[in-house]
Amino acid sequence: MKITRRQFLKGCTAGIAVVGGAQLAGLSLTSPSYAATLNSNQEMLITISLRGGMDGLNLIPPYTETEYYTKRPNIAVPAPGSATNPAFDLDGQFGMHPAAGPLHDLYQNQDLAVIHATGLINNTRSHFDAVEFMERGTPNDKTTPTGWMTRHLISSNYSAQMPAVAAGYTTPALFRGSNVAVAIAQLDDFNFNGYWRWEDAQRYALRHMYNGDTWLHRAGEKTLNAIDIVEVADPDTYTPEYNATYPSGSFGDRLKILAQLIKLDVGLHLGNVDFGDWDTHEHQGTQGGGYFADHVSELANGLMAFYTDLTDYAQRLTIVVISEFGRRLRENDNQGTDHGHGNAMLVIGGNVNGGQVFTDPWPGLAAANLDNGLDLAITTDYRRIFSEILIRRLGNPNLGIVFPGYTDYTPMGVVSGTDLTPNYVPASDILNVQSAAALYNQPVSGEDALWDSNNNGIIDDNDMQVVQDRWKLYWRMKLQNAR
Amino acid sequence: MEEQVLASRTVGPPPLPPLKTIALNRMAFGPRPEDWAAWDALGSSESERMAAFVAQQLDPGSIDDAACEARIAAENFVTLNKSLRQLWADHAAAPDLTYQERILPAEETVQATWIRAIYSKRQLFEVLVNFWHDHFNIYAYQYRVSSVFVHYDRDVIRAHALGNFRDFIEAVGSSTAMLYYLDNVYSSDGGPNENYARELFELHTMGAENYLGLMDQNQVPVDGQGRPIAFVDEDIREAARCFTGWTVNDSSSSLPDYQAGPPEQYIPGTFLAWDDWHDQYQKWVLGQRINSHQSPLTDGRAVYDMLAQHPGTAHYICTKLCQRFIADTPPTSAVDAAVATWQANINAPDQIAKVMETILLSDAFKETWGEKLKRPFEFTTSVIRATQVEWTPKDSFDWVYGNMGQRPFRWVTPDGYPDYKAYWASTNGMLRRWNMVPYLLEDWLNPEIHVDLASQMPTTLRTSTEITDWWIQRILGRDMNPDDRTEIIEFMAQGRNPDYALAQSQIDERMPRLVQLICMSPDFQYR
Repeated sequence: MKITRRQFLKGCTAGIAVVGGAQLAGLSLTSPSYAATLNSNQEMLITISLRGGMDGLNLIPPYTETEYYTKRPNIAVPAPGSATNPAFDLDGQFGMHPAAGPLHDLYQNQDLAVIHATGLINNTRSHFDAVEFMERGTPNDKTTPTGWMTRHLISSNYSAQMPAVAAGYTTPALFRGSNVAVAIAQLDDFNFNGYWRWEDAQRYALRHMYNGDTWLHRAGEKTLNAIDIVEVADPDTYTPEYNATYPSGSFGDRLKILAQLIKLDVGLHLGNVDFGDWDTHEHQGTQGGGYFADHVSELANGLMAFYTDLTDYAQRLTIVVISEFGRRLRENDNQGTDHGHGNAMLVIGGNVNGGQVFTDPWPGLAAANLDNGLDLAITTDYRRIFSEILIRRLGNPNLGIVFPGYTDYTPMGVVSGTDLTPNYVPASDILNVQSAAALYNQPVSGEDALWDSNNNGIIDDNDMQVVQDRWKLYWRMKLQNAR
Repeated sequence: MEEQVLASRTVGPPPLPPLKTIALNRMAFGPRPEDWAAWDALGSSESERMAAFVAQQLDPGSIDDAACEARIAAENFVTLNKSLRQLWADHAAAPDLTYQERILPAEETVQATWIRAIYSKRQLFEVLVNFWHDHFNIYAYQYRVSSVFVHYDRDVIRAHALGNFRDFIEAVGSSTAMLYYLDNVYSSDGGPNENYARELFELHTMGAENYLGLMDQNQVPVDGQGRPIAFVDEDIREAARCFTGWTVNDSSSSLPDYQAGPPEQYIPGTFLAWDDWHDQYQKWVLGQRINSHQSPLTDGRAVYDMLAQHPGTAHYICTKLCQRFIADTPPTSAVDAAVATWQANINAPDQIAKVMETILLSDAFKETWGEKLKRPFEFTTSVIRATQVEWTPKDSFDWVYGNMGQRPFRWVTPDGYPDYKAYWASTNGMLRRWNMVPYLLEDWLNPEIHVDLASQMPTTLRTSTEITDWWIQRILGRDMNPDDRTEIIEFMAQGRNPDYALAQSQIDERMPRLVQLICMSPDFQYR
């Protein structure tokens, strides 16, 4: 049953359904098979989730701050110009870990930007809580039943055969509740696994049995398509382009999975790779070396390989490196660091305003400026960065749905693109149905114009339908009761 | 790839199957082959049989389950019969415990759960235990929780699965496992932790459907009895104050010394209502004043009383039960009937059993099909049961099964595994469920997990049509979608006349894979 990519593409134009995001006016969790045409030129957002709390103060050391060195007498990264393991200098204020050479190259090419003192606005120091809050996109509610990327898919326009892929065994909370996101730990594991002599005949039979119109038949057909897509990726023969060399290990392997899927032009729109073991409570390494340096090296080499391999796709690729929280400023007695707060994020891509460290403002490391007196403060909500990417790169202004409760977005300038007016109308606020109803048939302006989804200056039936749909969507999500 | 370009086929929802198919898929982890005949022997009409089956299953103590218990005994589990006090002493407090020793009570509960789901004759009880574990979800592998998880499963969930809801929520709230899982163990007047109180309202009792957010308590509309119709954040915070001092005696220095006090109150690892940590001032919950200077038990129980009595709780829990047993969106009539039974039996010791009877004997239960998808646990156990796989615990099985995303008691957040079809009908989910079928039925896990399909089928069956029809009836208990049946017959015949006898070698080779196809078919996925 092995087929070539050309045969595959020919076959799938007729056979493999394209799924699309909902038009706002027709929000639906139920039938993603719109008559969408595959747009293989759409934007891609890939998150690299560093699990365990990556020590951003050592990845991007604020080397001009005396407190950085007094509070970290052993583990601080030597300043640029030092004799041993000097940090790369980024801008005269911040450095980059000496093991992150490939990332420094991307920075110098202006393909990589750093955002510092950013993160989740919530006081939790629990990994679990922080991940849930962050990935569900609701910093005070970890029971929100959908991830923010799921809500992006619901509220945006995209078309794809395989829009959302988590390279890993499970889909992270980012994709919670999505009926299109797939998890692929290994491409050679994502296949139909029967007894070798009969599995193709079984697959053939399933093709016919899952040909139908119900939710179950659609799910089966989508799965068979995904199996076909992955089969064509043929992981054994994949050769990265531009001499990209992925580091050995699961991080490199998983980046390679995403690269292969991107090159299949299946419309991959969102991706995530988990990279764990950043919880450096002890012996993280001194003077810019040791465990943390090795881990940073794997991160940097992996990202460089991925970005190089996808050189031809760079103009529609945005990569975000994020961790659930940073680590404490003061090193502990075991030459490690405990759970902290503010952290650094990296954004890489062809439309990134790279070669800059963004802070708004840098809070400093003086004791009075630390969060809880101990940790780097957060001056930039992580949602601001993603909102900018959502709007400027992915073209989705529906922040009220993706990040309910986040209402004061302004672009930071991390990526370039067209600004759209943010739509803060949350799917969640039941009272909004009433407030919109109060405006029915009225000319509107100012904040009330949020309800005017067709921009004709009056709240008409169309607008009310949109409001109602959002309201229904919210309760369906909230009750975990999607039909 | 020609086969991808199929003419679009119109397949609507599946037709309503016989009642026994519905009953054995919803009130059990799928039918075993012998269950069809046992059903037929229950009475002379379908309604008679259904009534008898429901009555029998709602009285699990009356069902002889010795065979299942013998299988559990044969595993030589060491923690399942330990008291809470023993569990704590052996798996939490003992010095130099390894990780494996700490999680052993959780691990053994997981394996016993599989054995019971597969072999117990008290199937409805096991299904309800599964439901309540999801409802009062705890991640079993959390520190401290894993050490006492046997107690939570045995003395909290199983002890109340068919009992009274008011008793149930107090048993949950005062359990060592829940006190740790939702942090109430650390909640004191000096630093109240609202985690448990929030989930008590939002997940355990009234539900998000009765939550009005940050609204002022005084603004919440009241019902005919002057009771607020919903809860707000202030109710949660006030309730959190009521539960301050609900903790576990972990023998830490700030808690009373077990050696010094009456043992029944200060036994390490058990519930402790600790006055010194209790916020003693007046609270205001759901429109009622809770007086100052009461004990932590009095305050907490007052909250439980209000929540258990509240109509919002009745509606939320009955809706969830109907979603489990009927459809993701159950008919209002079924929910309303369940609510009426709930309220009429609000103080009855078998309140939940009574509500279940109402739901199971409703018209909606009999008349709804094709609206629920077996989740991975239900799917896997139903394959095992339908094909008579001999199952004992095996590590590699756990890992492969784990890829399906529903390992028992491993859902991390307090909302429990979802039970709506859109969640599980994912690409990953469908692939993993198909792959589970050959994984089990190719006999790759022999000897711990072993299957012999050939010996189950009469040797007189020789043609592709005969063999297909026999297995369809045995596994599904009804006819299959005719097109799908044709597809399977063609698979068996491989281009030959389906009514010609096959050679024995062909039967040996193809029949097990035909059985696999039936288990992978759409008709086998519904619950």
